[in-house]
Amino acid sequence: MADGIIVARQVHKAYGRHSVLRGVDLDIPAGTLVAIVGENGAGKSTLLQLLAGTLAADDGSIDVRGSVGYCPQEPVLNDALTVDQHFRYFAAAYQLRTLHRAEQLLDALHFSDYRHRTVAELSGGTRQKLNLTLALLHDPDVLLLDEPYQGFDWETYLRFWDIVEELRRAGTAIVVITHLIFERERFDTLYSLDRGRIADETATVVPPDGNAYVGR
Amino acid sequence: MSAAEHLVARQFPTALQFAVRNQTRNRLAWLLLALFVPAWDLLMVAIVSHKPLEFKLFSTGVLLQADGRELSLITAGMNSLTLIVGFAVFAATRRALPLDRRLVFAGYRQSLLVAAKSLATMLVAAGVGAYAAVVLLAFWRPSIGGWAAVLAGSAVIAAEYGALGLLLGVLVKGDLEGFFLIIMGSLVDTFLQNPVGNPIANRPVLEYFPSFGPTQFAAGGAFGHAALWGELVLGLAWAAAFLVSGLIVFQRRTRVRRHP
Repeated sequence: MADGIIVARQVHKAYGRHSVLRGVDLDIPAGTLVAIVGENGAGKSTLLQLLAGTLAADDGSIDVRGSVGYCPQEPVLNDALTVDQHFRYFAAAYQLRTLHRAEQLLDALHFSDYRHRTVAELSGGTRQKLNLTLALLHDPDVLLLDEPYQGFDWETYLRFWDIVEELRRAGTAIVVITHLIFERERFDTLYSLDRGRIADETATVVPPDGNAYVGR
Repeated sequence: MSAAEHLVARQFPTALQFAVRNQTRNRLAWLLLALFVPAWDLLMVAIVSHKPLEFKLFSTGVLLQADGRELSLITAGMNSLTLIVGFAVFAATRRALPLDRRLVFAGYRQSLLVAAKSLATMLVAAGVGAYAAVVLLAFWRPSIGGWAAVLAGSAVIAAEYGALGLLLGVLVKGDLEGFFLIIMGSLVDTFLQNPVGNPIANRPVLEYFPSFGPTQFAAGGAFGHAALWGELVLGLAWAAAFLVSGLIVFQRRTRVRRHP
């Protein structure tokens, strides 16, 4: 029986006659960090959009419980608005009382200096930081990240993992879509998407001493 | 305060503030307002004579004797507003759409986002209509009542095309399609209302065009000293119809299958 906070059963999706997903099953518990890997065009982003609910599946069922944070691959921002104005907009959307979490994330990702700049003035990496932050503002139960560290420098990449680790410990289920895995030991589970199916499941078990090993 | 009222009180002012900001930060639109509106009026003064024309007020059946140049100033002014406001709102709506989808996903109520955009469009239209009416005074001094009628007609036609810009902004796939539809619509619509060089002016078919109501209201006030409120309401009804259509399309395009 499925006990995951994210459960997908036999999910199918096609674009016209081109079938992208052909029966995907997923069962992701709370407090786990999962990667979905695959080649370009394997359907990773489509799967994430289906989990997020921004796209409808042709067949199958998807059940995602709790609040969701979704970070799209390409930054979705408004060039005319400042970083701070984005925070105010999303605080209204998530119905947050304060911008306390936004300020924490500004500090953690080192872009407080850009708070009053418009997006048009930001570099690609800083846009990506803002793009990620907007998905995290409400401390979601489920976090869906599409290639989240593209464009990050090494320092930011490490800070990103600090934030993710903190969320995982707090019980958030985190799904990271990527075509490149630098450090597979960071993930609890790796799913490989191949020809429209989850072809391969690799569990990384973390023993009490913290030294991870990879096993099938 | 109920949860729903609390949501409205929180989300609506923020959305309105950013919608106004988006629609008013188009530099090209400001430039066109500053240059195109007076230049277009100036052109009318240069090429159209004072020859009297018959202009029919459809709601009363009265055939007015209107000064051809003054009538052309009204319709030309309206033509320039339709283009500028239509473009500005269209561009702002299209540019904001991806972030709007994300905001809806994050919990923003779709109706509040569209209501804020609609109110922002009406505010912009009122401001731009007033500006065009002030520019007009450099070329023609109608009676105070006549000038107020031109101002109201200008604001309403700007509202119609702003609303059309909003609808096209959420509807069409590319920038070019939107720009062409606004240009073609505005040209045909405003040109046909003016009897200068137009054989079908004063025919009933004109009633089915968006600029009919505002043109009738402005000309009725300026030349017939009549306040044809029904015509002004007709223009507002066009704007409302475009806005409601825009809301329906926006709701489809920003739909989330499962709300967080």
